[in-house]
Amino acid sequence: MDPLHAGHSQGRAHFQSQLRELEAHALGGLDLIIQQLDRAMEALQHQDVELAQMVIADDDLIDGRFLEVNQGILSLLALQAPVAGDLRLVAALLHTIKHIERMGDQCVNIAKMIPLSGYEPPVHAELLEALLKMGAFARSEVLQSKAAFAARDSALAEDLVRQDREINRLNRDIFRLAIEIGDDPDTREWAMHMTLVARALERIGDNAVDIGEQVAFVATGLFREFSDSSRGTGRGALPG
Amino acid sequence: MSTSRKTENVGDVDPGVPPGNAGNPKGAPAPEQAPAPATPTSDSQPIEARSRAPKKGFRVTLEGLRAFYGSAEQVKGIDLEFKPNEVTAIIGPSGCGKSTMVRCINRMHEEIPGARAEGRVMLEDLDVYDPSVDVVAVRRAIGMVFQKPNPFPTMSIYDNVAAGLRLTGRRRGDLRPRVEQALRGAGLWNEVSGRLDEPGAGLSGGQQQRLCIARSLAVDPEVILMDEPCSALDPIATLKIEELISELKDSVTIVIVTHNMQQAARVADRTAFMLDGELVEVGATNDVFTKPSDPRTEEYVTGKFG
Amino acid sequence: MSSPSAAPDRLARFAVSPGRRRKDVIARTAIQVCTVIALIPLLLIVYYLLKKGLSSWSTSFFTTDPTGNTFFKASSIGGIKSALLGTIEIVAVASVISVPLGIGVAIWLVEYGKNSWFAQTVRFFVDVLTGVPSIVFGLFIYIVLIVGTGSSYAGYKGSLALTLLMLPVVIRSAEVVLLLVPGGLREAALALGAPRWKVIFRIVVPTALPGMVTGVLLAVARAAGETAPLLFTAGATLKTNFNLSQFMNSLPVQIYSDVTSPTPSVEQRAWGAALTLVVMILLLNLIARLAARRSRLA
Repeated sequence: MDPLHAGHSQGRAHFQSQLRELEAHALGGLDLIIQQLDRAMEALQHQDVELAQMVIADDDLIDGRFLEVNQGILSLLALQAPVAGDLRLVAALLHTIKHIERMGDQCVNIAKMIPLSGYEPPVHAELLEALLKMGAFARSEVLQSKAAFAARDSALAEDLVRQDREINRLNRDIFRLAIEIGDDPDTREWAMHMTLVARALERIGDNAVDIGEQVAFVATGLFREFSDSSRGTGRGALPG
Repeated sequence: MSTSRKTENVGDVDPGVPPGNAGNPKGAPAPEQAPAPATPTSDSQPIEARSRAPKKGFRVTLEGLRAFYGSAEQVKGIDLEFKPNEVTAIIGPSGCGKSTMVRCINRMHEEIPGARAEGRVMLEDLDVYDPSVDVVAVRRAIGMVFQKPNPFPTMSIYDNVAAGLRLTGRRRGDLRPRVEQALRGAGLWNEVSGRLDEPGAGLSGGQQQRLCIARSLAVDPEVILMDEPCSALDPIATLKIEELISELKDSVTIVIVTHNMQQAARVADRTAFMLDGELVEVGATNDVFTKPSDPRTEEYVTGKFG
Repeated sequence: MSSPSAAPDRLARFAVSPGRRRKDVIARTAIQVCTVIALIPLLLIVYYLLKKGLSSWSTSFFTTDPTGNTFFKASSIGGIKSALLGTIEIVAVASVISVPLGIGVAIWLVEYGKNSWFAQTVRFFVDVLTGVPSIVFGLFIYIVLIVGTGSSYAGYKGSLALTLLMLPVVIRSAEVVLLLVPGGLREAALALGAPRWKVIFRIVVPTALPGMVTGVLLAVARAAGETAPLLFTAGATLKTNFNLSQFMNSLPVQIYSDVTSPTPSVEQRAWGAALTLVVMILLLNLIARLAARRSRLA
């Protein structure tokens, strides 16, 4: 690089490394989500109220990361005026970190259900089983969204829809199980809480798919909703 | 008015223009082959009406344009269209040939000893390089604003703006309405209307550049070429000129060469990217800066080289 | 002085060292001395001119021709009328020929010839001619127009000799000034759609005008003071004569012949004539500058 342009590319190289760091910081939030999710599911499985409190407290970490990435994006926009691919990346990171923050909130929602359902709640094996499976799918979606973003892999991103369908199916199953769970008021109360947990997991899955949409945007410059055939009900919320 | 002190001796009638043109519509810029503009105007129209009447700028099309300095080929075959009444920006690294290409449009390139151009430059349907075309007439239809403001140092502000008219043989007479219109068009009237007799070189850099724009506007061109018009100016003056460009495109087609990509993003409807004498990509400015189709464009606009 | 005692060492380098200061004073003094030395002869010339020349100025000095009497009393030696008018006439004619011609050549060299081999050749010869001694021009005209044609001395032949003298000076100085006109002005005018000749005569030349005026004045001043070319071409005569095809008197020639005279009053007339010549050039200078400033904006 001739000396005349060295200074220019120095500045730009610094910008590139800043951008990479920002991306790593944002995607690192997904690792935090996985951690939170694992702990929440474990707390759910063993009715561990203390673990649930930890999850609730640690959400501050995710909120903090959201603020840092947000600020970093504003700085980059103001100081470096990114364009083209860089601009799309920055916009995508802004959306992505928001989705991550939402996922964090959903993990907190799950954790909150645990103490509410008492210290020795009646546990319905099949329902719990379904919930744990949902948790596994959600975890896998989060991991895959991270991998897709890092690799800018649109195909991998679109595949998230497939997993999300499974989550939605499980969600419907859990809802049905809850309705048919019987007359015992304590059990019914527990089951109601569990439907809320299912809902939170389903939202985590939706957010992962949204991140996938951002991946496709960065790669192609086009924004497209990843809807499957059942647009209205497939990814949508449960009634109520 | 105090314009009696202006030096009228520069205002000779060009023998080529018949004196009986007084009442005719402005018509062609010269008796020769230049095409007639779409909206004829005459000096009898009131100033306000004329400055507001939208005028059709010309479409300029480059076909296979090549430009040489001696044996070195600087512009290597360009096909590019500048749509009428639009602003098109040309961006690219230093030495990529963008200034050379633009200078071929009004045939200023050939003024350099040893320089020549091949190919066609179409002004609407007329090939500017056709041997039967008068170069001088072409340059009256295509104005040019340079990187360094160059008002004529021996002339007052009024004379500077009128210089274009006098040099191109407009009939003698009261040029004041046209000078005022041109200064208004360049956004300079309010700042200088009280001191038209002062030397043009006494203005600030930004004002001088707007004076040069007014000088070009006075001749009523259909196209204006701007070669990095703001690179010698401070940011406030730059913004004023960018606003001006947005207003001017209602009446002329504008081509602007710029090093500053943010400027291209701000003022241009379409942007063309040149590299090593070739046209790499051209498209709507928004597309070029959010999702360019050529990887070289992507590299350049994101600052990976240049 | 040396750095303040409280300043840390890293600021010490900003203090001016005594060695530097000394050198500065020496250099400055030396230059001032040179200036004074150069000014002394100039001032002496002005002083002598005024002292010795002013006393011979009178109305009759300017209104009577020299009588050629050198042995009689001062009052009958006459004035310098014919010389004055002769100089004015000869130099005016020479200027009228050489100035437009010279500027024309300069314009061609700068605007059209540029760096072509022909233009370079022309420049070379012009440079050579600026160094040719003035007597050579006189001799050239003498041989061609006087000996060659067998005719006699004449005022117009003196003008021609002076034209040859002035031409290279005018060309060179006009070319230098025209080259100083920024190319951007020519470009701007061309881009407006002006034909080339208009660009040259309406934009380039007016911009270069103040500089060209100076160059022309220098040429005129030089021509007005040259004796040698006129000796062999215009000759000398005592009577005022407006006919250019006859002998014509001129100030330098008059001074030349008066200065060696034993008669003190005649010698004094020479001083008076010299002062007249200097004052003439000065006036010409002032008039031309005033005219240039009024017709163009500064």
